[in-house]
Amino acid sequence: MIDQRKSSDEDPLSCLELHHGFGNRKILEGITLSIPRGAVFGLIGRNGAGKSTLIRILLGLIRPDGGESRVYGCDSLELDDTVKGRLAYVPQQPESFQWMKVGEMLDFIRAFYPKWDADYVDAMLHRAAILRGARLADLSPGERQSIALIRALATQPELLVLDEPAAALDPAARRELMREIARRAGDSGTTVLFSTHIVTDLERVASHVALLHHGRLLLDAPMDDIKETHARLRFSTDVGIPAHFTGELSRRRHDDGSLSLIVARNAGEQWPTLFTSEGGVRESLSLEELFVEIVQ
Amino acid sequence: MNASGFVIQPSAPDPIFRQIAEQIRRLVASGQLVPGDLLPSVRDVAEFHAINPMTVSRAYSLLEAEGMLERLRGKGMTVGGAHTRPTSPDQRLALLDSQLRAVARQANELELPAALVLKRLRILMEK
Repeated sequence: MIDQRKSSDEDPLSCLELHHGFGNRKILEGITLSIPRGAVFGLIGRNGAGKSTLIRILLGLIRPDGGESRVYGCDSLELDDTVKGRLAYVPQQPESFQWMKVGEMLDFIRAFYPKWDADYVDAMLHRAAILRGARLADLSPGERQSIALIRALATQPELLVLDEPAAALDPAARRELMREIARRAGDSGTTVLFSTHIVTDLERVASHVALLHHGRLLLDAPMDDIKETHARLRFSTDVGIPAHFTGELSRRRHDDGSLSLIVARNAGEQWPTLFTSEGGVRESLSLEELFVEIVQ
Repeated sequence: MNASGFVIQPSAPDPIFRQIAEQIRRLVASGQLVPGDLLPSVRDVAEFHAINPMTVSRAYSLLEAEGMLERLRGKGMTVGGAHTRPTSPDQRLALLDSQLRAVARQANELELPAALVLKRLRILMEK
């Protein structure tokens, strides 16, 4: 890994050598990560890559086959109420309290959280044009997602974990959510972990990005560095090209005989001259292109 | 200058902090920002563009380290004195070089004659 972050007991989330599978299918194959305080950590990956599983293990909702994970230094499988009170989690498809009305559910939850921000709830319900008297079961998936996000943010969590929060939201609501995430991170130092397959959302607000692919974390690095420390190398032919370059992450051979590689360097170092002396052309990439090149 | 003055393209190959820093550099080089001018606060820029405040801070800090910006207590970031004089046209042109190279490469790929591209550029610039 390029990023030599050390994990500390104070990190809001960390895990070491996580392994997990369902039946014969391996989902996670040795995941080690640490999310520092105040980070907005974006987890990307294809559908089915195991993003939700990783999140659920980090929060102690699934017992992993191997390895360990911690929330504020506390074993994820043995979280006490103090630690639970510091975090909020919105699953991909919030389904709880379906029989209740919006207002009833919020009043019920409110009783458990001393820091509940009632003004925020009122403002957000107004903006989303959702009535307190509406039954949760009658809301659209997007509205249900909005309610779940309002509920999570109203508790003013120190750690906010969102699994595909933008999936059911329209573009305007998504932008507003990203703005809220950026605001929380900036004003209150809230730590945020969110998974998504919409890469542009992540490019706006994430301070760190990791790509989950084939059970491993790739590209685990600060967002600002990622575009400058990764590049695509194109060769018109694969004849005479070394079988492996230093820092090579992926390699694709195209139908026309050309070759493209994704390579990484350490921040602050120059690109090896070897790349271009072999006749390669180096290109900068957007995060989306980088994602597509690696997972294909 | 206010927060809406920045153009942010999250999916461009340049990181956002560099996009912000380069825009300030260009505005200072052309004299559109002069010493003492106040920059929008980190919070305002982050809020307007829905981007991470740390990214904006990083852009400002980069230019502060170069002496282009100065942090004034209680006021915020201002354009500093070190880069006061508008630079020569050649120096300002150098700030456009990477964009011009990109346009040149794409124009060649499209087999467009230079005269046609220049004519269009002139119209865009004189708008």
